[in-house]
Amino acid sequence: MDVAVQIIASGLTLGAMYAVSTVGLALVYGALNMLNMSHGALLALGGYVCFYAMTTLGLPAVLGMALAMAVCAAAGALIYHLAARPMLRAGNFETRIFIATIGIAVVIENAILRLFGPQPVAQPLKLPGAAILDGVHVPYQNMFILAVAVVMMGGVAFLLNRTKTGRAIRATAQNRDAAQLMGIRVGRVYAQVLAISGALAAVAGILVSSLSGLLPNMGGDPMLKAFVICVVAGLGNVYGAVAAAVALGILESVIQYLLGVQYSFAILLLIVIAVLIWKPSGLFGKQQVVRL
Amino acid sequence: MTPLLDIAGLSSGYGHQVVIRELSLQVEEGRLVALIGPNGHGKSTLLRTLSGLVRCRGGSIGFAGQPIDRLRPDEIVKAGVVHIPQGDLLFPEMTVLENLRMGAYLLRDGGEEAKRLAEVFGLLPKLEERYDQTASTLSGGERRMVGIGRGLMAGGRLMMFDEPSLGLAPIVIDQIYAVLEKLRQAGRTILVVEENAMRIAEMADEMHLLDNGEFAWSGSGEAFLSHPEIMATYLGG
Repeated sequence: MDVAVQIIASGLTLGAMYAVSTVGLALVYGALNMLNMSHGALLALGGYVCFYAMTTLGLPAVLGMALAMAVCAAAGALIYHLAARPMLRAGNFETRIFIATIGIAVVIENAILRLFGPQPVAQPLKLPGAAILDGVHVPYQNMFILAVAVVMMGGVAFLLNRTKTGRAIRATAQNRDAAQLMGIRVGRVYAQVLAISGALAAVAGILVSSLSGLLPNMGGDPMLKAFVICVVAGLGNVYGAVAAAVALGILESVIQYLLGVQYSFAILLLIVIAVLIWKPSGLFGKQQVVRL
Repeated sequence: MTPLLDIAGLSSGYGHQVVIRELSLQVEEGRLVALIGPNGHGKSTLLRTLSGLVRCRGGSIGFAGQPIDRLRPDEIVKAGVVHIPQGDLLFPEMTVLENLRMGAYLLRDGGEEAKRLAEVFGLLPKLEERYDQTASTLSGGERRMVGIGRGLMAGGRLMMFDEPSLGLAPIVIDQIYAVLEKLRQAGRTILVVEENAMRIAEMADEMHLLDNGEFAWSGSGEAFLSHPEIMATYLGG
């Protein structure tokens, strides 16, 4: 029983972090058909901005997070205006933007490396202590991660379903031409989606680094997992991505408990391959259709 | 009187392909103007160029006295040009009601939106029955009605219909034409692209036959009906 609580607690924490980073990726793919390979670099950027704000600037944690979200949102909007927008007019957008965002990731990661150096640093945003549930230690930090993730997911759901901006995003994702004929300025929607995705990446980066520390290339692993989760859920499906993230988080911690850490990623990939053989367009995906 | 829509020397196309060549057309307020002609000769491209989805290559488009040929699609909608596209282009994961409300996206007045929704439900009662159904699960005829209802929600001084009867059962075509007739009687300005030339000729004030990117024949609906040789020459009987 104690073990089960422990596994669920750590699995939910993992799933929560995966969900925040995956939703950003899924939103952008759903709206623009753009696989943003610089998403991982934005995670790192967010983590470092929070670190810088809390240490060098001496700001409180809340402001550190807010600043990180603002900087990454601006970076996302900048990626739209400098890379995506000029490429949208030319053909073969999906391949071009895929390659371009790999380049952007290199630029961001090297800028971080230049500014903060290659040595790992600790994320100052940390809650010490732990709650004792049924005789099991559950660190406050894990609860904090879960709470932040729930707030973020709630925020995204509210935005998509209850606001005019969200309606415009969903309309653009479901049919770009029709959205334009309704009077939606799709260029602005695209910039907004990348900004939202950037802000989510910042939060994900802060959460991940609060457990494992900051490194310029720290975004690589969560980005890879976010991509895997997106594929399992069906690319571009936001709600499916959240469900798949939580499921894979719990699965990962079960495998880690039963077999050890070294097997978790390999088995995760095996399961992904099995899912894709069974359902090639993902668990919640529809054939060749990308929608929010 | 200056026409509501004034197209002069318009050229348009995709990539290297020129689909429309120096086309001129005026649509006066309150008229129903029909564009007919064989498939693939630029009728849809003309509408897509007017609504800004396709950039024009040359010439000019004036609407209500203002040039609109350099505007973005959302600005053209704002100016009052509503395009009900071919193939419906619904938002598949939204319900009927959500789709209709998207038509009123630019409207800031909730009362006006409710009024228009009541009008649409009055014209197309089927939509009220199906209001909570997801668009992708509708039949072809119902989808067409949603597309038209969504366009009506947008209002607009000029309504452009692209093939409103294409691929529908005769009974649904009758319903769609009844809506067009009511809009015409209400004095709305309508530009309609139609494959079914005989049918639209019965209500059109003006007809233009588009062949190979140019107008091959223009005249009234009655004139078209009394010249069956036009039909035989261009539309294969």
